[in-house]
Amino acid sequence: MLNIESVSMVFNKNTPDEHKALDNLCLSVAEGEFLTVIGGNGAGKSSLFNVISGKMVCDSGNILLGNENITFMPEHKRAAFIGRIFQDPMKGTAPNLTVEENLIIAYMRNIKRSIMSVPSKNEKNYIREHLAALNLGLEKRMNTKIGLLSGGQRQAVTLAMATLIKPKLLLLDEHTAALDPLSADSVLELTKKIVSDNNITTLMITHNISSALALGTRTIMMDSGSIVLDIGGSERNELSVHDVLRELSSIKNRTVE
Amino acid sequence: MSLTAFLGAIELGLVYSLLAFGTFISFRILNVADLTVDGSFVLGAAVSAVFTFRGMPIAGLLLAVSAGAAAGIVTAVLQTKMGIQPILSGILTMTGLYTINLMVMDGKANIPLLNKESIFTYAYRVFNTEAYKIITLLIIVAALFAALSRFFKTQLGLSIRASGDNEEMCRASSIDTDFAKIVGFALSNAIVALSGALVAQMQQSADINMGAGMVVISFASIIIGSVIIKNKNIILGLVSVVAGSVIYRLIIALILTTNFPPSYLKLISSLIVITALSVPAVKNDMEMRKMRRRSTQC
Repeated sequence: MLNIESVSMVFNKNTPDEHKALDNLCLSVAEGEFLTVIGGNGAGKSSLFNVISGKMVCDSGNILLGNENITFMPEHKRAAFIGRIFQDPMKGTAPNLTVEENLIIAYMRNIKRSIMSVPSKNEKNYIREHLAALNLGLEKRMNTKIGLLSGGQRQAVTLAMATLIKPKLLLLDEHTAALDPLSADSVLELTKKIVSDNNITTLMITHNISSALALGTRTIMMDSGSIVLDIGGSERNELSVHDVLRELSSIKNRTVE
Repeated sequence: MSLTAFLGAIELGLVYSLLAFGTFISFRILNVADLTVDGSFVLGAAVSAVFTFRGMPIAGLLLAVSAGAAAGIVTAVLQTKMGIQPILSGILTMTGLYTINLMVMDGKANIPLLNKESIFTYAYRVFNTEAYKIITLLIIVAALFAALSRFFKTQLGLSIRASGDNEEMCRASSIDTDFAKIVGFALSNAIVALSGALVAQMQQSADINMGAGMVVISFASIIIGSVIIKNKNIILGLVSVVAGSVIYRLIIALILTTNFPPSYLKLISSLIVITALSVPAVKNDMEMRKMRRRSTQC
């Protein structure tokens, strides 16, 4: 499904500040897999997401999604089939538009038709039902400006927007990190439900190691722009938070030496 | 205030509410103070006057709208594709337009249109009442209001609104923000030019300096409107623009009945905008001072 072939990206090339954000990284994700991504700050997790989503273009290598090479495709074009949720709940929604208008924008993003068209009643109903499925009662606030909702509610709407039309790939960049513990839990639960109900291929960055191991089907750990640990299946089930922490600190020590 | 002055203020309020519709799109929706307006308003008036002078007022209006859209596209391309700061882009286009406007007006600073056929003389023959100007303008404002209310619900309209609100979300939602902004500025300046074109035909002249301060006047109208009618959604926003524009003109008409010289009007417009925009910050500051004073007293 997603194939990343020896992708490299260097910041501040040929200066003393040269930093390899991605170092010859290879990754292959099968259809329907739910990958959790962990690693320290500066390990390259966000850079990986940025080159997949098109926010940045890699220096070398190829990125394939399905059968399509998307390495140089502009960001807004990829967005038609890649759903993305940011850490900051303010980033995923337009505050001065209503809940419904935000969802309509998400709904229309991969439906090809006249740009002067208005959604039909049926489509509006579909959007409302999709939001109602979150069980947050937000479907009663369709005409509220989204800026008036809480961070958790906004992140839930963002999740609904990203999955309104099933994306080929869903990128979650620490999407619960800025929420209070209760909201974070409920958004994580929603994520789990939506991803498994729709069988969406998903990559999730998290700093919460226990949720990295509890959620999804496979976990990768990144360091200095490459993947240092890649486990799934029974091996992963046996892994404890403690093991992962030990692994992380051993990598840290290695780089210090 | 006499009835004539009152009706005159309503007429001006209506014709300038088109100007405010235009700047509402750039200032409130795209979140940019677009100074192109001072130039595109005159551009609309100039094109309209040139064609009205030759007996083609309707062609004048249509071409004014296209000319305004072109001016908006220039500003938008400068800021999206060429990376020039939004405010500067507007200033550059506005400055360049001064020369273009003079060229359109064949080097003359003023085109008088006395005794020429205009859409208002057409309207007088159709409606046959003294209120023909107000009726004509009401029809135009209502039509534009309906068109804009509908447009901002379409996919393109929503894209434009989202582009001014949250660019990052737009890119994640597969919206080409550059394209959305270009369409938004084109639409904004097309409406501004229509306003200028109608003013020229209504006041029977176009003047190279008639655009000076138009941005501030329209902001004042928008702000007055938003104080009276809360902008809960886009339709109320558009209603508030018309209301604000008419009230602004009534205020000006009231001021003119006193001994204020008319030359004070621009200063007053500026003061209205400054007051309205600074209220939140000043309020905050005063509350902070109050809290500090109270805490030192204890």
